[in-house]
Amino acid sequence: MKIIELSKVFVKGDQKHRLSNINMSICSGEKIALIGANGAGKSSLISAINGTLKVDMGNATWHGSDLSKLKPRQRLQIATIWQDLRLIEELNVIQNINSGALGYHNFIWSLLNIFSPIESDLCLSYLEAVQLPKELLYKPLKELSGGQLKRVALRQKANLLLADEPIANLDQILLKEIIELLTGKKKSNSIIIPETVLISIHDTNLINSFTRVIGLYEGEIIIDKPTNELDLSELNSLYH
Amino acid sequence: MKKIYLNHTTLTFFPSLAIIPVFIAFLRESHSGGFEIVSDFFIAIIYPSFNHVVIESAWRGLQVTLCTALLSWIFSTSIGIMLAVISSNVFWKAFDIDESVGVFIRRCLAIPRAIHELVWGLLLQAFLGLSPLIAILAISIPYTAIVSRVLSDQFDSISQDNLIAIKQTGSRPLSTFITASINKMIPIIINYGGYRLECSLRSATLLGVFGLGGIGTELQLSFQSLEFREMWTSFWMLGLLMLGLENIIALFRNKFLSKATLSWKSLRNLIITLFVIFIFSLTWLRVLDINLFTDISWHHITIPSVIDFWQASLELEWIRLITGTLLLTFLSAGIAIGIPPITMMLVPTRLGIKLQSCLWTFLRLIPAPISAMILLLCSSPSIAVAALALGIHNLGVMGRLLKEGIDQQNNNLFNAIQASGANSNSTWLYAKLTVQSRSYLAYAAYRMDVLLRETAVVGLVGGVGLGWQLQESLSSFYWAQVILVIITFISMTIIGETISDRFSRYLLNSKSPIGIALKP
Repeated sequence: MKIIELSKVFVKGDQKHRLSNINMSICSGEKIALIGANGAGKSSLISAINGTLKVDMGNATWHGSDLSKLKPRQRLQIATIWQDLRLIEELNVIQNINSGALGYHNFIWSLLNIFSPIESDLCLSYLEAVQLPKELLYKPLKELSGGQLKRVALRQKANLLLADEPIANLDQILLKEIIELLTGKKKSNSIIIPETVLISIHDTNLINSFTRVIGLYEGEIIIDKPTNELDLSELNSLYH
Repeated sequence: MKKIYLNHTTLTFFPSLAIIPVFIAFLRESHSGGFEIVSDFFIAIIYPSFNHVVIESAWRGLQVTLCTALLSWIFSTSIGIMLAVISSNVFWKAFDIDESVGVFIRRCLAIPRAIHELVWGLLLQAFLGLSPLIAILAISIPYTAIVSRVLSDQFDSISQDNLIAIKQTGSRPLSTFITASINKMIPIIINYGGYRLECSLRSATLLGVFGLGGIGTELQLSFQSLEFREMWTSFWMLGLLMLGLENIIALFRNKFLSKATLSWKSLRNLIITLFVIFIFSLTWLRVLDINLFTDISWHHITIPSVIDFWQASLELEWIRLITGTLLLTFLSAGIAIGIPPITMMLVPTRLGIKLQSCLWTFLRLIPAPISAMILLLCSSPSIAVAALALGIHNLGVMGRLLKEGIDQQNNNLFNAIQASGANSNSTWLYAKLTVQSRSYLAYAAYRMDVLLRETAVVGLVGGVGLGWQLQESLSSFYWAQVILVIITFISMTIIGETISDRFSRYLLNSKSPIGIALKP
């Protein structure tokens, strides 16, 4: 079943199009790797899919509804892990983990989390799942390393997970663990990873963990294939 | 056991608790006698007087207030900048001279800074008589010291490495200092200078309420005769002037700061602009037939003896005066600091924020003594009335500051949280207020100093604190008491300033969040 559909999508940039004539759809259950050089339009495509970047031309829909006009309840179904993480520096780890679930709770819950961090048991098991020590739960974000911050930022639950280079700067072992977690190969009780994921990556060695590969070059999709049909040499064209 | 975490965000909410005792006390002292008059006051908002005599009178008052504000602004910023230079450590470092000179000048400037412009106005009036010059001097003296303090801190934040690098090229000390600071300081001076002009306008209005001329005097006279429609004619005109001035400042700031590099030419243009405004304001006052030096005469004051001081000190109820001043400061600060984050969090829609902005402007527009007198129409004099009046005026200042800070934030975090499906209140709380809370609190700490000084303004109506005592002593020309009260005021302000300064620095430099756990 198609959950996302982009048809003839254009997004203008300062000098050239950030996205140019994008035609693609995402079906439920797909694990998609989004690859391309820096500036190819990966972040723009993710922003267009989560509705934070309004498309200048074409249609971008979620179950048939315009992506930029989704109601909060509909937005809940799309989770995003941002390249710059977008964690809240003023809050500690547990409050940040909980802030990933703001859409599922009312305002009072949000306010309580600011005054007295809640759901600590759930957050503890979350830390365990992403291999972070439980001592970090009440630590300020400034005391965490870059890799630890990335793992805190994985706190999302939805039907579709979009992740913009979530694994940069992680060591090889952890990188594999996180990719397995995000693509559902490794199960965790505390993190419910959506069954549909689109993850932007730089490391082409990881594409075997995905079912489909989308390659972007200067804002255009030039590769869109199931992983098992992809010839690795095709990827070279993305980096010229 | 559950813990309550004191982080920057929660700390922005706690001050609002002050509203509870203030309201209870206000309601306990309230009476229905003046409700009709108060309702007349609010009805007059939409029915201001269009009588040409009233408009002409208000227009003249407005011009006097504007000229007073412009002249005191030019004096205080130009002298303040010079004093900021010589009181900064970095200046003396450029000359390889010990920094203690700068420290000494900074400490001396703490005294004029600690006394509110109204107190300066009343003192100068007692010494020199009633003259238009008094208002300009009364604003210029403390403002010069405030400008010099703020800007000297900014000069000292210039990178020392930069200074050393320029010095090593063999540059002369003065050139070294100017080259190292000009690009960083001009935008700060322009931004801060614009803000000071708005403060000068508010102060000029306030001094008018206490009889020093201009639109403030018009407001006071209209209020005394309960002519609220006339009063609102003046208020609306003052509001339009404030709005116009804000826009002109913003336009000038954007035009000036849009240049990629600021050069000597920019500095020259800035000085010429200030000079033109200075000459223009003086000429304008002449056109209004106001001679600044009319009625200036030195009123001889007998210097009190040690025995007078001793006698006066025994007569003063120190504990009541000091605790009253502190209580008034804390309660009004609670209202001013705590309410804007709550209202903006509860109504974070575009329309809601716009309406709140209008409300902040309205509250800033009404001088605290006028608010106090309106409140007194339906309540007996009390500390609650004084705290409410002072609090709601400063609430306008804090609300605007919070909004400005939020407007300058980038929207990445906001978009991210909104995209996650959070409701608008939660999104605003996490993406806007939480990010802004640290700098908001740092400014709130500074605002506490201002409020401590401003207790002098509303002390009279509340019958509390050193402000009330000062005005009582001044009215009876009891100079020994006046001097003692002023010394106490200065000491309290300097202590308060030191504490708030440390708190601000701690807030701005600390790792976030503060993370103090309280076990309930």
